[in-house]
Amino acid sequence: MGVMRIGHASLKVMDMDAAVKHYENVLGLKTTMKDKAGNVYLKCWDEWDKYSLILTPSDQAGLNHVAYKVEKEAHLDELQKKIEAWGIKTVMLDEGTLPSTGRMLQFNLPSGHEMRLYATKEYVGTEVGTTNPDPWPDGLKGAGVHWLDHLLLMCEMNPEAGINTVADNTRFMTEALDFFLTEQVVVGPGGSIQAATWMARTTTPHDIAFVGGAKSGLHHIAFYLDSWNDVLKSADVMAKNKTKIDVAPTRHGITRGETIYFFDPSGNRNETFAGLGYLAQRDRPVTTWTEDQLWSGIFYHTGEAVPSFTDVYT
Amino acid sequence: MSIFDTRPKFAVHVAQTDETFPCAANESLLQGMVRLGRKGIPVGCVNGGCGVCKVRILAGDIKALGPISRAHVTQDEECQGYTLACRVAPQTAVDLEVAGKLNKPFSKGRAESATASPVSQQQ
Repeated sequence: MGVMRIGHASLKVMDMDAAVKHYENVLGLKTTMKDKAGNVYLKCWDEWDKYSLILTPSDQAGLNHVAYKVEKEAHLDELQKKIEAWGIKTVMLDEGTLPSTGRMLQFNLPSGHEMRLYATKEYVGTEVGTTNPDPWPDGLKGAGVHWLDHLLLMCEMNPEAGINTVADNTRFMTEALDFFLTEQVVVGPGGSIQAATWMARTTTPHDIAFVGGAKSGLHHIAFYLDSWNDVLKSADVMAKNKTKIDVAPTRHGITRGETIYFFDPSGNRNETFAGLGYLAQRDRPVTTWTEDQLWSGIFYHTGEAVPSFTDVYT
Repeated sequence: MSIFDTRPKFAVHVAQTDETFPCAANESLLQGMVRLGRKGIPVGCVNGGCGVCKVRILAGDIKALGPISRAHVTQDEECQGYTLACRVAPQTAVDLEVAGKLNKPFSKGRAESATASPVSQQQ
């Protein structure tokens, strides 16, 4: 019952033409739809629903909302009850609030981020189809990412004031949405403060991640690639396109992912990553990273702090 | 000046520390500022979204390189000269003061700057 996977992210962009060019030419998504309000909808070649990314024109950068797909329409009603019982107000948005999309259950996480759940989105198929498919389609642009994989939300945290929305979100996702914890960072006396968490519904190490920060925001949205070589090639694509790379190809200790971080033309951080790390399971013991080894968890090879990685986000 | 960078430069003056760095007309104030070598100059998204490189232009002409986030520079602030250093290039000599998260690296004494005498780097 319940959430299957990440469905889409809606991002604010300050220059729509530049943003579309970035997501099409650097990441390799394709535009599938535009609406009257000027929003642009895109998908990756290996995704079968109509879109996984919405770009909305704005005077600032950041996340509008993130949506997860649930298996059945009836689950939306069941989850609405569970979320309300947990103590979070919800609104059921009508079918068609977003084009090609069924009704959506809208609410805010304890960190303030808007989340939506939906069961129905127009099926358009992957670019290789379902009958005797090739492993990849011709004509891919840029990195040719497979799918939107996860996102990382920066969550307001101020332990002195008793505010830790990383822990609050983690509890909510566990209790109301039935996600499970795969990894965590604990800091402070005796590791008493849960400062970052990685959570799953699928069998991958994270479908969502929460990291503590001065204020809530979007850290990054991540797209999946097959291999380390694809990660290297996507760095070449970024260099060709003069994309601002934040962190050159390396490996995370946390999730074991092979990664690059970079920025879209509005400063929203993107990640292309490969490696599904390990088989995430409900009975797999939770991995814990301690304060003194935190940066090895983040950038395994150097183990060194990169302040921009924790301080810069939209 | 590096022999590998022969572009003509304008002098950009930082009010708080009385430092001056050279900056070309086709590069952002942030790119020039980074060459000061001060530890901790926050280079974030460099695309106007994250707001870590906020400055206030006190004098001089600048050219916009792209949009800046209203979440970090309000209309009022922009009228007062505030902008993001990653999104403007100097068109004349510029006098600026650093703001927001840029205050920190510039709040330490000049002696702590990694380059002994940034002013001498001017053309």
